[in-house]
Amino acid sequence: MNISNSFNISASALTAQRLRMDVVSSNIANAETTRGRYVDGKFEPYRRKMVVMQPYQEGSFASALQSELGEPDVGKGVKITQIKEDQAPFKQVYNPTHPDADSNGYVSMPNVDVLKEMVDMISATRAYESNVTALNASKSMFMKALEIGK
Amino acid sequence: MNLLSGASFERLQGAIDTSNLRQKVIANNIANADTPNFKRSDVSFESMLEQEMDRNSSSLIGNRTDSRHFYIGPQSGSMVSPQVTTDETTVYNNNLNNVDMDKEMSQLAQNQLKYNALIQQLNHDIKMKRVVLEGR
Repeated sequence: MNISNSFNISASALTAQRLRMDVVSSNIANAETTRGRYVDGKFEPYRRKMVVMQPYQEGSFASALQSELGEPDVGKGVKITQIKEDQAPFKQVYNPTHPDADSNGYVSMPNVDVLKEMVDMISATRAYESNVTALNASKSMFMKALEIGK
Repeated sequence: MNLLSGASFERLQGAIDTSNLRQKVIANNIANADTPNFKRSDVSFESMLEQEMDRNSSSLIGNRTDSRHFYIGPQSGSMVSPQVTTDETTVYNNNLNNVDMDKEMSQLAQNQLKYNALIQQLNHDIKMKRVVLEGR
């Protein structure tokens, strides 16, 4: 039994939530970016990015060995497997004076909804906090174990 | 002779190990609180230990005259090992995840206190043995 494993589990979640936070920040920062990517001689607005999370699983050999050794199978934390781009259509805003306006005076704006991003940000913050709490609990248990036999 | 291998000592060790395991499981549940399709896990130990101790007081014990015989009734010195079960039946969230954060947090606190109590009990045991050894 190895308690440091629970540190690793919480740490993986902290990393994942931090990355989620980075993606939210990027989305909010680029909410007005009309020149996100240069495709076929034309600028395309920024596309909203989303993270895909998945429970972390070790390779089949390690888990098979562990179950053969009779150790109960506990999860290994969480990881982000992918950062996907939202394929929703761009917002069309009428603004003829904008340098990227088309011949009808419409500008394609990024498909970022700041409200959605705020909700995601709160969710990431709360998840981060609860993982810090779990990490602190593991830490204090570890410190208590050092007192055995004192 | 068996100064540090009494029944209570081994039971304490088993309980501390279980507490460690439960900490891992709860940490993993919290880590995956936002993961789609994740199902929470639980550690069952106390109820199994209780069953085992009830079984110890039952009267029917098979007499083994050959090493190839099956055990009937409690085995001497049998240790209960904790089991991890996954709750696949409930859905709590929109993304088929069933981690209830309030429950996990209260279990985290409970497990921590239990762990502290167990360590304290273990230290008490060790202290008593030290009294015997030093004779004062």
